[in-house]
Amino acid sequence: MNSTMKQLLTALAISSAVIASPASVQAADKGATAIEQGKKLAFSRSQGNCLACHMVADGAMPGNIGPALIAMKLRYPDKQKLYNKVWGTPDTQNVPNSMMPPFGQNGILTDEEIGKIVDYIYTL
Amino acid sequence: MKKTLLVALSLGVSVAATSTMASSVDPEKDRQEAVKFFEAKTPNVPIADYINGAYIYDADKMAQWEAAEEFPPYLDAVDAGEALWNQDKAVYEKCFGSDTTNIRQHYPYFDEKTQQVVTLEWAINICRENAGLKPFKYKKGDIANLSGYLAYQARGEKIDVKIDSEGAKAAYNKGREFFLEPRGQLNLSCAKCHTYNAGRKARSNILSPHVGQTTHFPVFRAKWQELGTLHRRYGGCQQNMRAKPYAAQSETYRNLEFFEAYMSNGLEINGPGYRE
Ligand code: HEC
Ligand code: HEC
Repeated sequence: MNSTMKQLLTALAISSAVIASPASVQAADKGATAIEQGKKLAFSRSQGNCLACHMVADGAMPGNIGPALIAMKLRYPDKQKLYNKVWGTPDTQNVPNSMMPPFGQNGILTDEEIGKIVDYIYTL
Repeated sequence: MKKTLLVALSLGVSVAATSTMASSVDPEKDRQEAVKFFEAKTPNVPIADYINGAYIYDADKMAQWEAAEEFPPYLDAVDAGEALWNQDKAVYEKCFGSDTTNIRQHYPYFDEKTQQVVTLEWAINICRENAGLKPFKYKKGDIANLSGYLAYQARGEKIDVKIDSEGAKAAYNKGREFFLEPRGQLNLSCAKCHTYNAGRKARSNILSPHVGQTTHFPVFRAKWQELGTLHRRYGGCQQNMRAKPYAAQSETYRNLEFFEAYMSNGLEINGPGYRE
């Protein structure tokens, strides 16, 4: 529990730092590679495996357990909230019996990987 | 900030603890509620059809499956099981009686003497060991073939698990709790997939409902190209949850089977089954 706490606190600190820095400052091509990496992470069965449960863009054989990941900007004007949802901060684990894994809390993905995935799905 | 998180986390813990304590339920009421839940979810599928697993949710897959069942790939395994029975017939008849059509339907049961759930596979090995024979390995091969033969012989009989003691009720509740509790890195529970999301797809796999999950085991899976036992499947699902599987025929899995089999009461035995 203590280490979870620590992880959680670091995650929040790091993620807000990342997201607070305006993405547009980064060169466009740098941004593009992060997004590509994010897509790879999201699709990979051994990593994000988001397709197991979500329809995501052109991903093959998506599941339909969770909602399709579309119009993320519209649904999450605050990108930090989207990050928190994927990370699994306690306030976002509010759907009873949800299948959505808490990727950050349970150490399935690193904070950086989650950041990249969020960058990617934010383009959808 | 720190305080709020701590409160949230400890709240989570106490909620979990309370729900664990409160979970001694009446099995029959519990089963009926599960049946009602699935009936409401899919009103056009009669519960008797739940022996067909995930195929009840997809007409195309059901058709493919029915075609596969016309030339069942598991018949060689059933024959191998019959040969195993005959090989040590005298031993088995002492333990199970000589009517092979009247064995499978009596398992699993709760043994009052040992206060343990006895599954068919477990009973087979106990029987062998008591006669000085080597026990079989639990997930595939001889155990699955022999169990498959006995399932085949009992086809059409109904699952009829009895719970009429405190011990049996406790075993059911332990199995039930295991089924409900999230575990593993992905924070999944059996119920998240096979109850709340039954009928939905994980990638292209349709999730079967937990009612009816034991009727057709052991199963010949296209992926395995052989028969495998129910506990082999439990282990596979736990691996997918990124949780450490328990040993086949461990007390945990026997209780889980007891819960799942009770949930399937009244349904026809149709093992061995064929699955993707
Ligand atoms: C095992 C199933 C599963 C996997 C794998 C999964 N999700 Fe989810 N996800 C769900 C479910 C179910 C919901 C809806 C319930 C909820 O919000 O908790 C959900 C909700 C979400 C939401 C909120 C959607 C909304 O409309 O508000 C986002 C965003 C999301 N998931 C992103 C992801 C990403 C990104 C990944 C991969 C890194 C992923 N999910 C992997 C099951 C899953
Ligand atoms: C991430 C989702 C998921 C979780 C969690 C999960 N399973 Fe499964 N399970 C599947 C899939 C997919 C299949 C194959 C399709 C089907 O038959 O349901 C399956 C198949 C099965 C089958 C065979 C069904 C049949 O008709 O042959 C059994 C039995 C089973 N699971 C039991 C369990 C138990 C018990 C647990 C918890 C320890 C569990 N599962 C957890 C996804 C899951």
